[in-house]
Parts: sequence; C-alpha cells; structure tokens
Amino acid sequence: MDRFAELVIASVLLAGLYATMAYGLGLIYGVLRIVNLNHGGMIMAGAYAGWYLHSEYGIDPYLSLLPVAAVSFLLGIAMYRGLVHRLPRGAAGGVQSLLLLFGVWLVMRNVAYLLFTGNDQTLRTSYSTRAAVLAGALVSVNRVAVFAVALATLIILHILLTRTYLGKAIRAVAQNPDSCTLVGIRVERIYALTFGLGTALAAIAGLLGATLFPFNPSFGAGELLKSFVVVVLGGLGSVAGTAIAALILAAVEVFAILFIPAYLTAAVGFVLLVLVLVLRPGGLFGQRVLG
Amino acid sequence: MRNSRTALFLCVVLAAACKKQTASQEQPSGGTAPAGQTVAAPGADTIRVGATLPLTGAEARTGGFYKEGYELAFEEATKNGGVDVGGKKMAVQLTLLDDTSTQATAASLADRLINSDKVNFLLGTYATNLVEAQSVVAEQNQIPYVNGGGAATAIYKRGYKWVFGLLAPVELLAESIMKWIDTQQKAGKLPKPATIALLWENTSHGKDFRKGVTEFADKSKNYKVAVDESFELNGKDFSALLGKVKAANTDLFLADAHLPDYITMQRQYVTAGMCHKIQSYGARGSEKQAAESLTPKNVQYILSAVWWSNQLSSKSPEAKRFVDLFKAKYGGRAPEWYQALGYETVRALFAAITQAGSLDRDAVRQKLAALKIPSLLPGGELTFPAEFGQQSHAPFVVQQNLPDGTSPIVAPPDAATGMGIAPNPGCAK
Repeated sequence: MDRFAELVIASVLLAGLYATMAYGLGLIYGVLRIVNLNHGGMIMAGAYAGWYLHSEYGIDPYLSLLPVAAVSFLLGIAMYRGLVHRLPRGAAGGVQSLLLLFGVWLVMRNVAYLLFTGNDQTLRTSYSTRAAVLAGALVSVNRVAVFAVALATLIILHILLTRTYLGKAIRAVAQNPDSCTLVGIRVERIYALTFGLGTALAAIAGLLGATLFPFNPSFGAGELLKSFVVVVLGGLGSVAGTAIAALILAAVEVFAILFIPAYLTAAVGFVLLVLVLVLRPGGLFGQRVLG
Repeated sequence: MRNSRTALFLCVVLAAACKKQTASQEQPSGGTAPAGQTVAAPGADTIRVGATLPLTGAEARTGGFYKEGYELAFEEATKNGGVDVGGKKMAVQLTLLDDTSTQATAASLADRLINSDKVNFLLGTYATNLVEAQSVVAEQNQIPYVNGGGAATAIYKRGYKWVFGLLAPVELLAESIMKWIDTQQKAGKLPKPATIALLWENTSHGKDFRKGVTEFADKSKNYKVAVDESFELNGKDFSALLGKVKAANTDLFLADAHLPDYITMQRQYVTAGMCHKIQSYGARGSEKQAAESLTPKNVQYILSAVWWSNQLSSKSPEAKRFVDLFKAKYGGRAPEWYQALGYETVRALFAAITQAGSLDRDAVRQKLAALKIPSLLPGGELTFPAEFGQQSHAPFVVQQNLPDGTSPIVAPPDAATGMGIAPNPGCAK
C-alpha cells in the first residue's frame, strides 16, 4: 500500500466527520438565516453525553447516538421556542441571534466546567485502539465506524430533505417563507424542527468526535471553525456540496503534511477559506437550495 | 447575500477569538481556586506567597499534581509552626490562582498577585510556555520567582536575576535518553547506524529536546535523524504526522510531548499499528493517567526521562521523607515527579527565606542564588548555578514501562532499580 493511497483513505475517513460537523450549521443557516454559534456548544455537549453514558452506564457510544440525537433534537426545539423564536427575523435579528447563541454557548461551556472540571476526557472503548486492514492499509476501526455513521447520517438527511413532505417543506421555507404561509405550511413549526435537526446533528458530530479525540469543555470551538470552512467552501445549503467540501478540507489538511511542517497543517484549511471567499464568494458549488 | 457572507466571515473571526479565549475562561467560581493553605489571616507575621497553576484547560491534570505538592509543603510548614525568619516562626499563606493553561492569564495573574494581593514571593506555574510568559512579570517587578514547571533553557538565557528553576534543561533530558539508547546500541541490541523519527512540540521545550537529540546524533555519527517534524501543542489529530513517520520506517521514535499530547498521539500510534525498537515521549510515559487512558498494554516499553521518581526513595532519605509525607496525606497514593517538583519548589523558597532571615526580596533572591540544600532530586542536592541562568542541573532518571506495569529506573546506573529492554520485543516480527 503506497503512501498516497493511505493518505487518500485518511482524507475520506476524516471528511465524514467534518461533513457531519458542518451540516447542522449549514442547515440552520440555510433555512433560518441564523448563524448558530452554539453549534460548538452542542458539539461539546454531544461529546460529554456520549462519554457520560459510557462511563456511568457502560453504553457503547454508537448505541448512545440515537438517544443523544433525540434529546438534542428536543433541546434544539426548546431552544428555538424559548430563545431564538423571540428574535426579529431578517437582518435586524442577525447580530442579536449571534450574541444570543454565543451567550448560550458560554453558559453551556461553564456548566460543563462546573460539572466535569477542565480535565481532558477520553471515550475509551474496547475497540478504541483496534485497527483493521482496508484496501491494504491499516486503519482505525473507530475511524471507519465514525465514517460509516457520518455517511449514513448524510444519506438519511438527504432522503429526508428530498423525498419527504417535511423535507420539501423545509426546502420551501428556505426558498420563500412568506409564500409557504400562503400554501398552508406552518413556517414556525418548520423553523423549530430545522433548529432541532441542526442541533441534533451537532451533538452527533460531537459524540463521534469524542470517540476519536480527547475533549474538555472548550471542545467544539475548533470544530465550529472547521464547520464554517466546510459550509463556506461547499456553498450554503447543499448536502452534496457540504460532503465534497468536507472531503476537500480533509484532503488539504492530510496532504499538507507532505509539503509543510506538521504544526502548520491546521492553518491550511483557513487559508483555503480566505481564498474561496476572495475568489468564489458563493462557495465552490454556488448557492443552492437545500438538498 | 453579500451581507450574509460578511456576517458569516465575521462569525469565523468571532469563533476564532472564542477558541483563543476558551482556555482563558476562569472557573465558574471566578477563577480563583481556594487558597491552598491559609494558616492565619494575613498580617505582619504572615509570609504571603502567590502562585498560579493550570487548574483548568489543557494542563489541568498536571496543574492539579503541582497543587498537591504545594499544599503538602505548606501543610508541613504549618505543622512545624511556620517558617523560621530570623529566629521567629512566621505563618505562611498561599494564594493560588488558576491560570487556565494560558500564557496571557498566567502573566496577568502574576501581576495581580504582586501589585494587588501584595504577596511577598512568587511560586511558578507549570509548563514552559506559561513560565516563560510569567517570569517576565516577576523580573519586571523584582520579586523572587521560584518555579518547578519551566524546563526550557530559553527561560534562563535572558539574564534574569529574580527567576529560579528547579527543572533541569530539556536538552539534558534528551541527552539522558540518548545515552541509554547508546549503551543499548553499543551492546549490539540496536542497529548501527540507527534511524530516528524526531517529533517535537513547537515550543521552547520541544526545541530544546530536538537540540539535545540532534546534537547527540551529530556527535556520535551512529544515528541519523530521518524525520524531523514539529507539531502544534495540544493538537487533536496526529494521524497525518504519524503516517509520515510510518512511511519513513525508522528504528527509533523520539517525541517530546506534554501529557495530553502524549496520550492522544500514542492512541493514534497504536491504532496505526506502529511499533519502533525504541519509543519515547521525552518526560512522559510512566504516568498512571496514560496507562488508564490507553491501557497498560499500549504503553509498554515506552522510555521516559524524568526529573524525579518515587523509586529514588529507596536510596535518598529526602525522597523517602517526601514519599512518606505524601502517602500519609493522600491516602497511600504514590507521588509522581510533578508533585515532587511542586513540593521541592516551595521548600527551596522557604529555605532561602530562613537563610535570609527576613522577607526582604533582594536578600531572599541572593540566598536563592547561593542556595545549596540537601534535596529529594536525583543527585541529592539543589542549587541554582549562575552559569546556567539559575536553572538547576540535577541529573535525570530514565525509566521504562514494563509489561508487569512497573516503570523501573534504568539509568543512571547508580539509581537504577531495574533492567531496561531493547529493542521492543513487541515489534520483533
């Protein structure tokens, strides 16, 4: 197995996690036109939820995905109904929503400090350090599992958005909420469901990330930044665009090790972000309606 | 749409700022950890000592260890009726703050301790990068600053008069590891020449480690550094870097990492199916937390060089006294080098105060500069040699994790408590 193929596999596996991290952010922005700065907070919360269920009750992190996603979904709806819903729509509410959700993130982080201290935690399972041979390369079982879950999540999301009434309603609201009210779509309900969905996706990403990396209450900040890069690269509101953008970001980060010192590789994605914003402000794949 | 793009870009900047700020968040309590020991209300008869430690953030775990060492030393002083100052026992009070593992907070809290809390002396924080920033404040304010957490020579090469360090340089650490490897090579257990994958955190600490290894390799001619890469401190994903190391197929894997990075990197190392004849993470390797996070099997045969080991208690009365005190206070738990260095840092300061016979900062500084006391550190004596910028040059002990869960000292020979194994039998096939 040559080095190139190994790097390709590493890029693809990493891309799955990046795509899951980003889609919740893109979905909420695409429909509600709100940048959910609490995305990082929910990533952190998902990580702690998975860790807590595993360390206290011995529940495998992959089995806890469903309950964590369900609770996060409800939490997202509650957050929308209790907080976001009260903000004015459009440009007037833009800055207010940023500040509000940033505040929620800070509160969540400090609650995590209070409950779990600032110590780094690791979600260690019996297969945490197990490896398997994939196309001739030795890869972490955990990374393959994370990729599989990420892929399944994106496929389900794609089907939801393109093949179901709810998905069509979400896309319609993203296009023109005023017209939606005329045809009987309950826009506020769609907003709440979308916010819940985006929040659940963030928690899933956090839980998946926790199986790979150590985390503490500040977990989520770096992940939020990467989500921004993916969302901007992929163009807002496109599932395929998000997946491809995640792959590009992962590949750039992984392959950069061949050309630049390792400590600079984390910055490569942000250089890419600046280049895309300057050269193709609409993202690599332009603006598309969700799905 | 242009507006929303701008807003999104602003968000990126905001989130970046938040990421930077994250670690500087104070604890919910307001960032001030309870004072380690308060003997009496501060007054004229109280020696006020200020300190910060990383009690939250990336270095929280290690910061907690240092805190245990500080607390033990203050408790011991209290039990003895205080610190002898010119024939009179004075109570001691420690004001310990959480610097959240960030440089800016460490520096600003030091300033607060000196100028608002009016402490008499400062104890240092942990980790080279924080000590580097904080020591500047101590020097500017001309207050004795004794630290057991900063090892990089860069801290002590600035000609500072008020800064004293108990950690011997990381260059010496690297040299100690290389010397042991060299004896194994001379015994025919390792290939000649041996290739090295050298990974170092991009800090003064890491640069010193790199210097120690490369200088030894250059002098010896029996080693070739095939991979020489630095990495970001507190990184999360080292898989690409490890992929590069794997492709180079070297004999030795020598990395310099702090505890969180060691645990993260070793986890990814094991998962990638990597194995080297010799593997080391510099000062890290024998920590219980690592074995718990990674399982003992995955930390076998890792070589580490540390500033102190509790195994020294079998040969040093000072070390034995400390180990007994520590076990008595902490329910029989054995101390690691972090607690020992924390304890010894406080002891060095108290010894200098006693020798000075006053709380005069300059008098205490002069006594610290000339200090020569029996110590629990390897070598049995603590000094702050002026030729090394007042940085201790106590020798290191080299340890190796064995399959039975122990980490005997394998070098130097006079302190050795066991035999080392090379090459790693786990990757013989």
